Amino acid sequence: MRRLITVAIIFLVASVAQAAEIHPPAQTVAGNPITIASSGSGDATFYLIGPASASKRQVQAGSDIAVDSDQIEHAGRYVAILCASDGCASSSFFVNAAAPNRLSLLVHPSRVPVGSANGISTVAFVFDNFHNLVLKPDSIKFSVQPKGGNEVSADRESKDGIAWVRLTSAKKEGPTKLGAAIGHANEIRVVQQVAADACNLRIKASRAKNDYLIETDPVRDCSGNPVPDGTVVSFTMTDSAGKTTVDVPIKRGVAKIEMSIKGRARVTVASGVVTGNELEVSGG
Amino acid sequence: MRNTALRYCVLAVAFSVLVCAAAVLHLRASASDELPRVELNADNIGPRQIEDLTSKSIPRDYALAWQTMAQALEENRTDVLDGYFTGFEKDELTQRVKSQMKSDLHTRYQDRGHKLQAIFYAPAGDAMELRDHAQLDVQVLDGGKVIYEGPVNVDYIVIMTPGADRWLVRQMQAVQGEKP
Repeated sequence: MRRLITVAIIFLVASVAQAAEIHPPAQTVAGNPITIASSGSGDATFYLIGPASASKRQVQAGSDIAVDSDQIEHAGRYVAILCASDGCASSSFFVNAAAPNRLSLLVHPSRVPVGSANGISTVAFVFDNFHNLVLKPDSIKFSVQPKGGNEVSADRESKDGIAWVRLTSAKKEGPTKLGAAIGHANEIRVVQQVAADACNLRIKASRAKNDYLIETDPVRDCSGNPVPDGTVVSFTMTDSAGKTTVDVPIKRGVAKIEMSIKGRARVTVASGVVTGNELEVSGG
Repeated sequence: MRNTALRYCVLAVAFSVLVCAAAVLHLRASASDELPRVELNADNIGPRQIEDLTSKSIPRDYALAWQTMAQALEENRTDVLDGYFTGFEKDELTQRVKSQMKSDLHTRYQDRGHKLQAIFYAPAGDAMELRDHAQLDVQVLDGGKVIYEGPVNVDYIVIMTPGADRWLVRQMQAVQGEKP
């Protein structure tokens, strides 16, 4: 009988005594303070384990536990743990990214020939103020502003925190500003558009003392942009002695070379894959 | 005679229990040294198609990233994070390790594998976004006392960027999860 009463008392005490429990919200937004309800009684230790932090402090089980905004700035999975004398209770919750307010922009390449179809790619990563990737779709405004030209823009919806666009470079050389904007964020990159391959490459010959001076017209691409100095132009002379090729860089817009020609010779010109006109020259 | 047989029986059972315990301990120790299992699915990747070499590098480097992260969080070491993490992810994990050290906490992962799905590959090949479905057993220890343990399924959004000779984890954000 005594044993029965003891068991009954233990059972009664056990059912009245409440084990510590913890009830965080299922999800919240980064940088917002929260309150975590707890049950139980007595001294307890509260742990909060997140992507970038792991903290521990003493609390009273049964009271509301305040979590400051700076403790949940990083989006991801958090585990709240409450350990009291009767053991530990835990619950996990998710912190989602806040509103988009930052962009990270990848633009390639930094130099591109004019008129390159889909030659420029721009990828924007959408972040909130705390560098969390914002996965909720949102509209991003991509813009292109050529030097001295009008801005052209297009909207793209982000997916899984990313939006991207491919652009064709303009017909005119020079720097072009590429931008992406969302909320208060506006990121700009500059792409240098350079002349494309030479077009309508032409040479002329003139007498220079005992030699011939072979000289190109100003070398331009098909849109009329001057091909940059340093671009190599190849002159090839074919005569009775055989074939001779000389590579010359463009200097101040033209490439020129003095050639000693004996008898009849044929001179051709090329730059990259582009070939120019052909000259028949007779030397003394 | 009967007593002797019983004694041998008890001894045999005790020996078996010892062998089993040793095997479990050994398996547990070697599991953390093993590279986590990572399966990559790149069927729906775009706009750029994944190269053969990249499709091998990504799961290898991601597995190594998880292995080093588990080591960092269990042993509270920040130096091992240099190998496979960069940018904000490396900063976040470094902060986590430092705060664990401050509170004498440790996190132990038993990695049960990752299903990695490539969802975006930048046109210039300089960034890749993936979704990882990770299956883990997680333990949190205060000193030597386990204060939390449980199997967890978590989905991560991951951004990886190429480094000199490997892909690095630049962002790894848990986006949803449930207990299995």
